[in-house]
Amino acid sequence: MFRRAFVDSLPVLMGYSTMGFVAGVLLAAKGNVALSPLWGFLTSSLWVTGTMSIAGVPEIARRIPVMAFALMTLAVNFRYAFYGFTMLKAWKGVPLLRKAYLVLMLTDENYALEAASGIADPAENVRYCTVLSALNHSYWVVGVTVGALTVVLLGMAVDPETIRRHTNGMEFSMAALFLVIFTDQIKGLLQHAR
Amino acid sequence: MQDEIAYMAGIVLAGFVVNFGLRALPFLLFAGSGRELPRWAERAGSLVSPAIIAALIVYSYSGLAWKTAYPYAAGALAVGLQLWRRNPLASIVAGTALYMALVGCCGCSTARSTIELDAQNPFVRVTTAGVFIGDRPVRPEHVASYLEDLDVPKSRTIHILLAENVRDLRQARFLMGCLAKSGYTRPVLVTKRHAESVAVGKRKPRPVQPQQPNRRSGAPNVLRPAGRK
Repeated sequence: MFRRAFVDSLPVLMGYSTMGFVAGVLLAAKGNVALSPLWGFLTSSLWVTGTMSIAGVPEIARRIPVMAFALMTLAVNFRYAFYGFTMLKAWKGVPLLRKAYLVLMLTDENYALEAASGIADPAENVRYCTVLSALNHSYWVVGVTVGALTVVLLGMAVDPETIRRHTNGMEFSMAALFLVIFTDQIKGLLQHAR
Repeated sequence: MQDEIAYMAGIVLAGFVVNFGLRALPFLLFAGSGRELPRWAERAGSLVSPAIIAALIVYSYSGLAWKTAYPYAAGALAVGLQLWRRNPLASIVAGTALYMALVGCCGCSTARSTIELDAQNPFVRVTTAGVFIGDRPVRPEHVASYLEDLDVPKSRTIHILLAENVRDLRQARFLMGCLAKSGYTRPVLVTKRHAESVAVGKRKPRPVQPQQPNRRSGAPNVLRPAGRK
């Protein structure tokens, strides 16, 4: 179970660590805030969303009102509201705190992997989801925090654009993950229909 | 400082509440142990997830160089490998490696050594498919840091080749704005027929005209200089 969760999390490791690093560098270099590693740590652990961690930085830099930021998050991340429907049945009867953690961790990537896990035993499936969530969470938090720390410790020597260029193309791993899961799902549906 | 901490705490909290609220919405809608999940929700669930993932594919492609063939070639490789070997990790790594090679990762592309800052043969191109350095698609905002990496002095004139079928100049203007912001204040748009080269960029300060002082004193824009189109 741990093994499978770990292997499944490897493509996410590629994506989250680089994307997280870029988001952390961006926040520290362009966010115009002191204590950026702390904020990077907090946002990455509590939001767990790459979209807002990157798109939100310019807005933070020009200090848009908190309510406006909340509305922007709502608009940008509205897709998250649909993920839970797939998980309702699989996570039935899971203790509240653990369920809350699983829900908090419903990112695009976790959702895609968990919806396609295909593990029949519910308890086993929940364990898989938890381990996967914790692993992917750690990749993201470490990526963002280390990114922000790098800028703070090395001064402004690190330019987000340079890093983005030097990891150019690695963002494809996320698209590839979705493509692969989609391929398996369609194959499964076709076999089911037969 | 304290204001800033309060502001950032508010931002962190707002992001947390909205993100978590969105993710928890379905669970809140069907909360209560007594309530059974409606049949439609259960049945829809099995079809909804492929639909969402299809949408995620489109969404993730929008962040890639989707106007080029590269992400589709890499995607075809990943899907093909997956159908053949059923090893997700291998399919994903192979697809990503191909994509990275195609877009030229790590700045290791050959363009680096062969760049010539030559008006006859500009290496920055604006086409209908986007901005290119050599053969590689780049984002307009990356061009300046690319030039900086090559130690191109800011005072150099940067020639940008505008493909002949480009009608919409917004991207070219945006590119020039990005360059100007980074200190490259002398970008020049050229077309294939070199005689038509047009200098654009930061407008040079206009020679002071006799009317100029009146502007300050509140004279209306009647005094707008003539002879300008």
